[in-house]
Amino acid sequence: MNLLEHTIVARQDTSLSQLKQITDRYSSIVTKNKGEVIQTQNWGLLNLAFLIKKNKKGNYIHFKIKGPSSLILDLEKSERMDKNLLRYMTVKVKKFDLEANYFSGKDKEETDTSKVTKKNSN
Amino acid sequence: MQKKRNNKKKSQSNFAKLSIFQPNKYKFKKKCRLSIKGAPVVDYKNIKLLKRYVSENGKILPSRITNVSQKKQRELSLSIKRARNLGLI
Repeated sequence: MNLLEHTIVARQDTSLSQLKQITDRYSSIVTKNKGEVIQTQNWGLLNLAFLIKKNKKGNYIHFKIKGPSSLILDLEKSERMDKNLLRYMTVKVKKFDLEANYFSGKDKEETDTSKVTKKNSN
Repeated sequence: MQKKRNNKKKSQSNFAKLSIFQPNKYKFKKKCRLSIKGAPVVDYKNIKLLKRYVSENGKILPSRITNVSQKKQRELSLSIKRARNLGLI
């Protein structure tokens, strides 16, 4: 079992309901392949540093996944086909830091974790 | 004429102060900020930190300018490249 961090950049003109669909779809793929989504973070609309497929902004979704590494193959296979996505990246990590959220200003879900990050910054 | 000669002598004496054989007072080397206790974690999500080690054009700054240790520089360059891939930097 590996600890994986997975981030997705979606197009700027995707609606909120579409974003939810995307997150549900990929988390279902993870669970199908004997994986487990430990945390999902929605970083929101962020400015891209450069144009990607004529997009100035991107919707960032971040997953923390625990599961076998064969899961990545299936995930990225379907992401390559997806026209709503601009980029995707998986990183293998030794340890999760579930508290730190560098984009907490635009986060909706976690209220508890944002408090923790404030404490750390002080 | 005499005045000019005097000036020359003065300038020479100033140069002597700036010789290579300076006392150790003037030589100082900054320590690496990232390997101190309680330093921030180098991560591709921590854009605020990464932007300090990137030039205005988005190039990675060499460690001889930023005084980062060799180990941390390797971590930095990896995480900067990851952030670039996501379009964050």
